[in-house]
Amino acid sequence: MTADPGATERAVFEIRGARSRYAMRTILDGVDLTVGAGQLVGLLGPNGSGKSTLLRAVCRIHRVTDGSFRLGGTDLHRLSPRARARVLAYVPQGTPGPFSLTVTEAVMLGRTPHLGLRPTRTDVARVRAVLGLLDLTDLADRHVDELSGGQAQRVLIARALAQEPTVLLLDEPTSALDLRHQVETLHLVRALTERRRLHTLMAIHDLNLAARYCHRVAFLHEGRIVACGPPTEVYRPELIERVYGLPVEISHHRGAPEVRPGLLPDSAPFPTG
Amino acid sequence: MLAAAALLLLVAGVTAVAVGTRDISVTDVVHALWTRTFHVPVTPEELSTQTVVWELRMPRVGLAVTAGAGLAVAGVVLQGLLRNPMVSPFTLGISSAAGFGASLTILFGQAGGRGGITLVASALGMALLCAGLLLGLSWLRQASPVTLILIGTALTYLFQALTSTLQYVASEHQLAEIVRWNFGSVNAATWGQTVAVGLPVGVCLLVLGWQAGRLNAIAFAGDDAAHALGVNVARTRLVCSLIAVMLAAVVVSFTGVIGFVGLVAPHIARLLIGADHRFLIPFAAVTGSLLVLTADTVGRTLFSPAVIPVGIVVAFLGAPLFINLILTRRRQFL
Repeated sequence: MTADPGATERAVFEIRGARSRYAMRTILDGVDLTVGAGQLVGLLGPNGSGKSTLLRAVCRIHRVTDGSFRLGGTDLHRLSPRARARVLAYVPQGTPGPFSLTVTEAVMLGRTPHLGLRPTRTDVARVRAVLGLLDLTDLADRHVDELSGGQAQRVLIARALAQEPTVLLLDEPTSALDLRHQVETLHLVRALTERRRLHTLMAIHDLNLAARYCHRVAFLHEGRIVACGPPTEVYRPELIERVYGLPVEISHHRGAPEVRPGLLPDSAPFPTG
Repeated sequence: MLAAAALLLLVAGVTAVAVGTRDISVTDVVHALWTRTFHVPVTPEELSTQTVVWELRMPRVGLAVTAGAGLAVAGVVLQGLLRNPMVSPFTLGISSAAGFGASLTILFGQAGGRGGITLVASALGMALLCAGLLLGLSWLRQASPVTLILIGTALTYLFQALTSTLQYVASEHQLAEIVRWNFGSVNAATWGQTVAVGLPVGVCLLVLGWQAGRLNAIAFAGDDAAHALGVNVARTRLVCSLIAVMLAAVVVSFTGVIGFVGLVAPHIARLLIGADHRFLIPFAAVTGSLLVLTADTVGRTLFSPAVIPVGIVVAFLGAPLFINLILTRRRQFL
């Protein structure tokens, strides 16, 4: 097994038996998953497999019918929303609204669970530190809607870090980015996870990038985790074919598995002339 | 910036008290207030000045200021909550509902003129009914902001149709009365009205100041992320939208339809001071006050002694100002 830092030291973030139904359909069917400190776990699976639902269930945006979510001895769902927001930060897929804040103001939103009526000196200092850490200082007074996709994604991550969380959840942080910014973002997430000993759970579509940057990956299929572990061990053609319904070839390049999609079966629907 | 705007509002307020059909110098205004407050004996001429200042101009300025603040704040909150720049109390049907309520009283009741208690009550009742329908329906169906806006638009048309129906059967005199009410004005303002509008506006400003951080999270991070930031999204939404529609309903019941302020004052304020609600809410209140006050002052001095209703002048002043701000802004608007 590859390095699995923090699995034994400090508290473990643990999802047990998460079940959820929505509109008569089972979305999560008993999900068990653990994330150690300093560990980046990639949540993989096709559209509709429940990745987003699981992340939203952890921070209680989505109510589960059953299941426990614990960090060490703490039941995260017993905490008040405010207290939970100091432990758990969630980076949603970008939802640009019509009005935009400056970068500093947007990151200050992350201080909401720590905030009284208005920001104190501590809040300002924390925001400044996060801006420095994510190389956003030069952009501090720019409006968020003026930024590039990669920069805007960094602002969302900065907002989450300003919460000073222990557990970090990211919902497809690379889906709207070009190649270079995808790599930059994943590099950043991994570095932050290791340096700050965060428990990071990230939904992601790109199997190859996930293999390169995640300590462990978990495949969600029909509301269950069907495989979980280091990418080198988990990536098997049979498994991926079963999960995605597509034959694949897997090779290894510089120690990381690489997945190449195969051809669709002849029975697949095709637009005809 | 907020202090500068407040100062500007004060200057505009004093100017508005001073100018009119009968111009009174600023020193005379101050003198009149001084003698009135401390019951200093005055000459008959000073007494008449005192009456003009205290009984006519001051309540008028007071109502313009509080109404402008109320509408602007309602606009800010609704635009932020619904994450839509085109929302205002007018587009959500609240103004049209109040207009229908007022028309009902004009047609069937013995309307005591603008500000008459039955008329205000009936306008307020309809506005609140509309607000209740709007919030109730969206609450029942867990509607998205866009659905809410669509329901509001439908309600606007419904209440306008109802008012048109009343106009159709109204007598000439009643018709004129209905049309005049719908222009929106602060004519015949009294201290009672100023207090009746100012008190809720003041209270709501305080509550919103306290909710501003949560409002920020909902407006800029979205519902899900706001939830993850520890904000009780459902409660904040309910409290803030209740406050906003109440504010709009109260103001419009006393002044008639001053539609444009609720849309444009929030944008002007946002362009000048930024979108953070902690600063935006008080600043928009001052912006709205200034806009309505200036419009009313211009409206009653331009063709004096004729008075053009503030609802009309506001659009004449506000629209070019707004368009200018949008076009000269370096950054792309919104």
